[in-house]
Amino acid sequence: MSVIDGPGAVTESLAGGGTPHGIGTSLPSADAPAKTQGTYPYAADLWAEGLLWAAVLRSPYPHARIVRIDTGEAAAMPGVRAVLTHEDVPGDAMHGRLVADRPVFAKDIVRHHGEPIAAVAADHPDTARLAAAAILVEYEVLEPVTDPEKAFAAEPLHPDGNLIRHIPLRFGDPDTVGEVIVEGLYRVGRQDPAPIGAEAGLAVPRPDGGVELYVASTDPHADRDIAAACFGLEADHVKVVVTGVPGAMGDREDSGIQLPLGLLALRTGCPVKFVATREESFLGHAHRHPTLLRYRHHADAEGRLVKVEAQILLDAGAYADASSDALAAAVAFAAGPYVVPHVFVEGWAVRTNNPPSGHVRGEGALQVCTAYEGQMDKLAAKLGLEPAEIRMRNVLATGDLLPTGQSVTCPAPVGELLKAVRDADLPPLPDGDDESQWLLPGGTSGAGEPGAVRRGVGYALGMVHVLGAEGTDEVSTATVRVHDGRATVICAAVETGQGFTTLARQIVQEVLGVEDVRVLPSDTDQPPAGPAARGRHTWVSGGAVERAAKMVRTQLLQPLAAKFGMSVELLTIADGKITSYDGVLSTTVAETLDGKELWATAQCRPHPTDRLDETGQGDAFVGLTFCAIRAVVDVDIELGAVRVVELAVAQDVGRVLNPRQLAARIEAGVTQGVGLALMEDLRAPRGIVKRPSLTGYALPTALDAPEVRIVKLVEERDVVAPFGAKAVSAVPVVTSPAAVAAAVRAATGRPISRLPIRPQAAIVKPPA
Amino acid sequence: MSTYAQQTAENVTLPTSLDEAVAALAAMPSAVPVAGGTDLMASVNAGLLRPAALVGLGRIAEIRGWQYADGAALLGAGLTHARMGRPDFAALIPALAAAARSAGPPQIRNAGTLGGNIVSAAPTGDALPVLAALEASVILAGPEADREIPVSHLLTGMDPLRPGELLAFVRIPLLHAPQTFLKATGRTGPGRAVASVALVVDPARRQVRCAVGAVAQVPLRPLEAEQWVAGLIDWDGERNLAPEACTAFGEYVAAACIPDQPGVELPPAAVQLRRTVAALSRRALGRALA
Repeated sequence: MSVIDGPGAVTESLAGGGTPHGIGTSLPSADAPAKTQGTYPYAADLWAEGLLWAAVLRSPYPHARIVRIDTGEAAAMPGVRAVLTHEDVPGDAMHGRLVADRPVFAKDIVRHHGEPIAAVAADHPDTARLAAAAILVEYEVLEPVTDPEKAFAAEPLHPDGNLIRHIPLRFGDPDTVGEVIVEGLYRVGRQDPAPIGAEAGLAVPRPDGGVELYVASTDPHADRDIAAACFGLEADHVKVVVTGVPGAMGDREDSGIQLPLGLLALRTGCPVKFVATREESFLGHAHRHPTLLRYRHHADAEGRLVKVEAQILLDAGAYADASSDALAAAVAFAAGPYVVPHVFVEGWAVRTNNPPSGHVRGEGALQVCTAYEGQMDKLAAKLGLEPAEIRMRNVLATGDLLPTGQSVTCPAPVGELLKAVRDADLPPLPDGDDESQWLLPGGTSGAGEPGAVRRGVGYALGMVHVLGAEGTDEVSTATVRVHDGRATVICAAVETGQGFTTLARQIVQEVLGVEDVRVLPSDTDQPPAGPAARGRHTWVSGGAVERAAKMVRTQLLQPLAAKFGMSVELLTIADGKITSYDGVLSTTVAETLDGKELWATAQCRPHPTDRLDETGQGDAFVGLTFCAIRAVVDVDIELGAVRVVELAVAQDVGRVLNPRQLAARIEAGVTQGVGLALMEDLRAPRGIVKRPSLTGYALPTALDAPEVRIVKLVEERDVVAPFGAKAVSAVPVVTSPAAVAAAVRAATGRPISRLPIRPQAAIVKPPA
Repeated sequence: MSTYAQQTAENVTLPTSLDEAVAALAAMPSAVPVAGGTDLMASVNAGLLRPAALVGLGRIAEIRGWQYADGAALLGAGLTHARMGRPDFAALIPALAAAARSAGPPQIRNAGTLGGNIVSAAPTGDALPVLAALEASVILAGPEADREIPVSHLLTGMDPLRPGELLAFVRIPLLHAPQTFLKATGRTGPGRAVASVALVVDPARRQVRCAVGAVAQVPLRPLEAEQWVAGLIDWDGERNLAPEACTAFGEYVAAACIPDQPGVELPPAAVQLRRTVAALSRRALGRALA
C-alpha cells in the first residue's frame, strides 16, 4: 500500500482484518487517544507535593556589562526560598553542545536579549516572578553587534572570538568560467521552532544528594551530562526523565530552564517546577540561523552548470551551539542536488548579539536551498529555458560527486522526483460564478479580487543529510524483552511526536510476530540513544530495536529448532504463532516461552564519517535524502498577498515504514517551510526581540496551510540503512520555502530573494 | 512564611441587568468591566494589569441582542463577533458582519464583543472603521443618566467614558444600500489588519462615506474624497462609476490618510501602506457600486 492512494487507503487498511501491525502498515500511534482527549501528561502538567516555583531573571539588553547584582531585596521577600546567580553554580560555569562557551548565568557580560542572569524559587509562581523582578542588576549598556557582516571586525564579544567556524570549500578549477553567469544576493530570516506546548520542567532532589530532572528533553543523555557538569555532580547522580514532548522542531527546554531548575532543587531540597511564558520561550531557545548568501552561477549555453561560487554567512547569535554543524551542511550542499564540476564556497558562522541560533531541522541545508534554487530560476530566465527543464539537465544521481569530494553511494533519484512533480496534474482554477466561495490571497477577509490575482508555478529540489555529520559517533542502544506473549521495548530515543515509538512497535511486531508491544518512557538510566534529530532514530534506534528483536527471536526459536532438527530460518512467527516451513510444527509464542522471559540488548552504529578538511573536503555524511516540490501560488499583485494553493511533493524515502505517519511528517514539514516562506520571522532590531508572542510571531493556520499532495514516494532502498528506509522529516522543510519563492517569482516576475516574502516584494507595479 | 495567605479572593460581580452593573461599578470604582475578555485577560495573563475587581457583563441579556428603533438598529454592546457574522445580521448591516467575520479565529469571535472592540479601541479593531463610516453613535449607561454620543467622539478621546459609565448600546442607521468592508492582513489565515477600509453608500443623503482603519490610532475619514466621489455619482440613475474614477478615488483616499510630509520623501513602508489603502478603497467603491 502506498500513501499516494490517499486517505481512503488508510481507512481501508484499518477496516480490513483487525489492527494493522508490522512494517509498512499505518499502525496508529499509541499516544493518539490520550493526546486528543487531553489526558496525555506533558511537562507543564507535572506536580510534586510541596513543590516550589521557579522564575528566571533575563537580560533586557542584548549586550551589557554587569556592574553589580544585588539579590538582597529579592531573597528577603516572604515566600522566596532561594535566589541563585553565577556565584551559586558549584560545577562548570560554562557549558555547550559542542563547545562549552555559554555561562549558566551571565557573570560579567550579557550577550543576548533574554540571557539568564539569576533564578528564584518561591512558594508561588507570582512570588517567584516578582522576586526575580526585584533583583537589582546594574548594567553598563554596550553597543550590540547585530550585523553579522560587522562581526568580523568588531571587538570580540566572547573570549573565544567572533568567528565560530570558517569553511573554505575548494572543488575543481577556480579559473573556469561559464558562458552564462548569474549573480544573486539572498537573505533568510530568523525562524523560531515555536513548540506549541509550553516549555516546562520539574526538578526533584534525591536523598543521595543527586537530582532528577523531569523535562521534555530531546536528547536526555547530553542534557544530563551538561547538567551534572554544571551541578558539580557525578553523571549518575543526575537523572533526566523525559516527559511528554509537546512538539519539537529543534531543541526544547534550553539550558536556561533545565540548569536553574536543578540548581534550585539542590539548593532548597524541595521539588521545583518551572513553566516558561511564551515570551521567555521565544527569548530562550535556539532559532534557525538568519543567513546572508551571495551566489554566482556559471553555466554553458545549454544550461549545464559549470561552476558555482558562493559566500554563506550564518548569524550564530551569542553562542556556538550547533552552528558548526549547520555551517557544514550549508557549505556541503551549497550547490544543491546538481552536478557541478567546479564549486568554491566560503562559509562562516559568526557570533553576534542577536538571539541564539542552533538546531532547527534542516539547518544550513534550508538556507542554501533558497539561494541555489533562486539562482536556477535566474539561469532559466537568462537562457530562455523552462525552470523544470534547466533543473532536469543538471540533476545529481547515484555515483556523482558532492562538492565535498564525497561520492553519492545511496539512492539519489533526483531526476525521477523532479519528473514526478513536473508531470503531476495542476490544481484546477476555481470555477463557478460565486466568487465568495473562492479562497483568494488575503483569505476570508474579503479584500482579494479575482482580477488582480496571478497564479504562479515554481519548482525546487532539496537535499539534506541523515544522521549527524563529520565524525559524530552516531550510536543507539535498545533492549527488547518478551514475556507472556507480550513484548517491551526499552530505548532512550525520545518520542517527540515524530513517531519513533510507533515505529519501534512495528519493528518488534514484524520480527517477533507479537502484536502487543509496549515502548517504555525514556530516561537516562537507560543506555544512551542520542538526540532526536536528523532522522537519527528511524535509522540508529530503529536499527538497534531490530537487532535486539532478532536476538530475542533466535533465543526463542533456537530450542525449538534444535528439538525438531531444523534451522531457525525455517520457522516463522506470525500473530503469536510459530510454524515451520512445512507446517509440521505449529505452536504459540506463549507456549514456547513457558513462563520464561527473554531479553536482548543491541546497538546500532553506522559507518564512521570524516570532518571536512581545510578545503571543505571529506566523506562527512552517512546518508542523504532528496525531495522535489512543485508549488502553485496565487498572488494578489496589487496587495502582495500570497496564498499557497498546492504543494506537490515527491520524496526519496528508501522504504515506506508507516504510510500514514510518513504522510503526516511530510505535511508537517512542508507547512513549517511555508511558514518560513511567508510569515515566520522573529524580528530583533538592534538585538531586542520584538513582539515575542504568538500574536506577533505568525504561524501558519489551517487557512494558510496549503493542500499538500504527495505525488510520488520513491522506494529505492538504501542498503546501508536499517530496512532501507531514509529519514523523512527534514527534507520537506528544506525544500518547500524555495518552491514557494520560485512560484511567487513566476507569478509576479519579481526577484524573490528574501524569506519570508514580504508583501511589497510580491507587488507588481502597474506600467507607468 | 507562605505568600498564599496574602492573596485575597478575586472580587468578581456578575450582574444580570444594566442597572445592576452600573450600581456594581459605582459601589467599587476600581472594578474593571469585562465582556469577552479577549484583550483584557491577555493583559492580565501577561502581568500588565491586575484589576482589584471585575464586573462580568456576560449575563446581561439586554445587551446581547439587537432591536430596531426609528430606522436604526440598536445593537447591544455584548453582541459577539460570531453573532454579528451570521446571515440574518449580515442582511441588516453587511459591512459590520464582514468586519466581524474577519476579526480573528473562531475562538476569539465567539468571545469578543462589539462593545469590547470599541472600548479597547485598538487601532486594528475591525469594527471601528465600519462604525465610523456608518456614523454610529454609542449609548453610555451611567450612574446619573444615560447619554448618547457619536462613536468618533469616544474613539478620539474627545468625549471619553466617564467614571462609572458602561457602554450599553450602539445605534446604527439602517441604510438599505450597498456597504463593504475590506481588510488586508498579509496572510490567508486570520490576522490583524495592515489596513482596512469600510465604505457605505447613503442614497437618502446622497453620500458616500468611507473610513480607513489600522493606519492611524483611530479610523480616518477622507471627507474631501467622499464629497468628490459623491459628486460624480448619478444618484437618480445607474449609480455606477468608470473604473478610472474608482482608481482616482483610491489614490485620493490613500493620499489623504497617509499624507506627504513637506520636504521629506515618504519611507518605503508608508509608500507600501498607501498603495494598499488605494487598492482597498478602489475595490471597496467598485464593489459597492457594482
